[in-house]
Amino acid sequence: MWKFSVRRIMIMIPQLFVLSVLIFVLAKMMPGDALSGQIDPNIDPARIEEIRQEMGWYDPWHEQYARWIGGVIQWDFGQSFRFKMPVTELMGQRIENSFWLSLVTLIFTYLIAIPLGITSGRYNDTLRDSLITGYSYLGFATPIFIFALVMLWVFGFQLGWFPTSGSVTPGLVPGTFDYFVSKVYHLILPALSMALITTYSTIQYLRNEIIDTKQKDFILLARAKGASESRVYNRHIFRNSLLPIAAFFGFEITTLIGGSIFIENIFGYPGMGQLLIESISLRDYSVVTATTLLFGMAAVLGALLSDIILSIVDPRIRIK
Amino acid sequence: MSKNVTKLLFALMLAMVLVLAACGDKDTADNGNNNNNTEDPANNENNEDNGEEDPADDEDSNLFSIDDFSQSKNNEGEPIEGGTLNFGLVSDTVFEGTLNWNFYSGAPDAEVIGWFDESMLYMDDTFTYTNEGPAEFTTEPYETDEYPNGVTFTFTIKDGVKWHDGEPVKAEDWAFSYEVIGHPDYPGVRYGPDFSGIIGMEEYNAGEADSISGIEIVDDKTLKITYKESQPSLLTGGVWTYAMPKHLFKDIPVAEMQEHDLVRKNPVGMGPFKVKQITPGESVVYEKFADYWRGEPNLDEVVLKVIAPEVVVQALQTGEVDMVDSFPTDQFVDNADMSNVEWLGQTDLAYTYIGFKLGHWDKEEKKVVMDPDKKMADVNLRRAMWYAVDNNAVGEQFYNGLRWNATTLIIPPFGDYHNSEIETPTYNPDEAKKILDEAGYLDVDGDGIREDKEGNELTINFATMSGGDVAEPLAQYYIQSWKAVGLNVELIDGRLLEFNAFYDRVGQAGDDDPNIDIYQGAWGTGSDVNPYGLYGPDQLFNFPRYESEKNSELLEAGNSLDAFDTDYRIDIYRQWQELMVEDIPVFPTLYRAVLIPVNNRVVNYTIERGANMGLHELGVTQEEPFTHEG
Repeated sequence: MWKFSVRRIMIMIPQLFVLSVLIFVLAKMMPGDALSGQIDPNIDPARIEEIRQEMGWYDPWHEQYARWIGGVIQWDFGQSFRFKMPVTELMGQRIENSFWLSLVTLIFTYLIAIPLGITSGRYNDTLRDSLITGYSYLGFATPIFIFALVMLWVFGFQLGWFPTSGSVTPGLVPGTFDYFVSKVYHLILPALSMALITTYSTIQYLRNEIIDTKQKDFILLARAKGASESRVYNRHIFRNSLLPIAAFFGFEITTLIGGSIFIENIFGYPGMGQLLIESISLRDYSVVTATTLLFGMAAVLGALLSDIILSIVDPRIRIK
Repeated sequence: MSKNVTKLLFALMLAMVLVLAACGDKDTADNGNNNNNTEDPANNENNEDNGEEDPADDEDSNLFSIDDFSQSKNNEGEPIEGGTLNFGLVSDTVFEGTLNWNFYSGAPDAEVIGWFDESMLYMDDTFTYTNEGPAEFTTEPYETDEYPNGVTFTFTIKDGVKWHDGEPVKAEDWAFSYEVIGHPDYPGVRYGPDFSGIIGMEEYNAGEADSISGIEIVDDKTLKITYKESQPSLLTGGVWTYAMPKHLFKDIPVAEMQEHDLVRKNPVGMGPFKVKQITPGESVVYEKFADYWRGEPNLDEVVLKVIAPEVVVQALQTGEVDMVDSFPTDQFVDNADMSNVEWLGQTDLAYTYIGFKLGHWDKEEKKVVMDPDKKMADVNLRRAMWYAVDNNAVGEQFYNGLRWNATTLIIPPFGDYHNSEIETPTYNPDEAKKILDEAGYLDVDGDGIREDKEGNELTINFATMSGGDVAEPLAQYYIQSWKAVGLNVELIDGRLLEFNAFYDRVGQAGDDDPNIDIYQGAWGTGSDVNPYGLYGPDQLFNFPRYESEKNSELLEAGNSLDAFDTDYRIDIYRQWQELMVEDIPVFPTLYRAVLIPVNNRVVNYTIERGANMGLHELGVTQEEPFTHEG
């Protein structure tokens, strides 16, 4: 177990290194820089040139990379040119929002997926199962950015049940109960939009696992011993079927990141995904590289987490 | 059995997909129909409600004109005491939160600052400084051997002008702004000729002097600034008119100021509202500043929040915001009937243009170099291309009349400076063909496309930016118009360029792409009429890389000592506009409108330039905003 984990973590280091080089070089290859948006006759081009020099944007890329990675190792991602503040501080503001959004999305995902998956697996090949499978395929096929827009339009604007942008109502004092409620209220619609159509994988895993498990011998034994149907499902089948779900928990993180980029932009929710898109279009290099690297790290860590959980659950896949 | 179920499921899935697809289609189709059908009755309603101020044109309900818009809100009813106004900052990005005039760089931040801090000098409708603001000024000549044409400004800050913490605004606060921007460690973009023109500033900026010799604090309320050269542009935006509270900032190193809480979280200004709370990037809550020097504001509170352009219409209809800083004009036509707002409009300080690449940028010498071998070097070719395009049609077809044919490079909001008498080329394809024939651009091989004067194939590469629904069809329209007179124009790389790539290749850093022959760009002009920064021979932003003796001479005369005489300056700039129509380094295509929707409950609001009405007068007639019915 420990050996496996350590080896798995060792593999991550070259992965992250290659990732960081790729991110950095690609970011620098984008045409323009953070100052090309400042084409304004009232600003002196000489001053802009001076700033470019000072920022070191004319240095060869490997020098810039060395400077950057040197900071990154000390958890210093440099200065955001656009926000004029340290990237670490900037991400600190945003990551909190993204964290809560992801957490609530995960909770919704499991709240939806587990009952549906169980029903679907228990009553497989019935109308109920078909409907649930149909729903999960529909979720699989629907692009998240279309679905989120529809949700925003229907529940945000037409029905007016939820706020349409932001993470909190302006004017509330942080720390109060109202502030907390407002935060949650702003989270529900984006989280639900994402959860409703990303549940498909969890539903399907659970369904297949239950169908698989219920034909196993030990279930037959449990039935033979006279266990009630609900006991068979809740104690024996459900528990055993949850294992793969737990194992794929790490990969959920990757899906969440991809989804959050769309969701946060559509709902005007100031998290990491929105920060990434804005920084790309405004060429705020240090933020682009930092957010991408962090997303990449989250994905790699997610995969690691999955592998570790999986190895605990299933001793067969442990690397010798 | 199970096979049947699968089949059934498959069929069900297919059906669902089709239903979904149909839904999508129906939605768009419905929207389209709605627009066409409801436009007329809606406009009639407007006619009844607003009388003369109806922005709709009678002949064609989808065509509008800037002349039909009022610049000031029609006050309906008396303002209540207090109240909260919700202001929408329309932006697809968050505001950065650099909330200080000396450090901000994004337009959204400027909008946020404008509510709580203000300029020491106000401007009139010709963008000239007045004595109406928090400070007054006088000028006197400054003549020494070193600087024979200098000028000294004496600023006097009025009594009662206070910072939000109650401290009076002093001369040292204003001087402090200069000391910060001129400081060698200053990280922002503001430092430029406006600052280095002050006596002693360059030495201070280089770190050779501890103070700026041209800036003198006479007493608490009086400040003197001496410039090396007396130029009329100083009076139209050349002075840095923003003070910063020295008593709060004095101990913070200049390089760290922009990260400090005084810029980020608790900014202190002198405007009618003070910042109560900031949610970074999202919203700002302001409360009134009772000691505002022009009087206690009407409103108790202003809530500013960022609204994405995609949802601004819904936010206005539901009253979520009372007004916005700028409304996406392309959405206006579909929403002209919004019943709970009044639309204000004026001509924007900007123009769109087609530029011709006539040379390149010499990085060493820092000046433009014309190249007579360039494809576009013949002025007749450029003139013919101007004649070939119908910009009024473009304005009507693509922008519903909210953009219209531009004539000269000094835009109409500059009043008398704008030369409205010049006959500029307007759409006339026959004239274009005639010019080309006479200039020797003939179709030698008979394929309908003209060759150049030597009979070689002529392909003109056109660079234009992506962005918005109109960009692509507009580019295609221009290309077709030129083809109609026999010129083969192609999009460079066969596609539209992304903003950053576009300006990189047009030459924002001096590395012009030699393959670009013509390009479509746009300029915001700012408040200074002086076009030197865009067309001067040593200016990087002179993208056509054009220069001529006459051009340099006129541009210099326009900002000389003599030009303090307004009539003289007007005459010079009128001549310059004529020269631009003769030489055509670029030709302007479109002027544009800005539209601001304002909820009916808002009173005392104007977007008129130079208006004396302040934000402290702003009020609302009822607690709740009106909502759209219909």
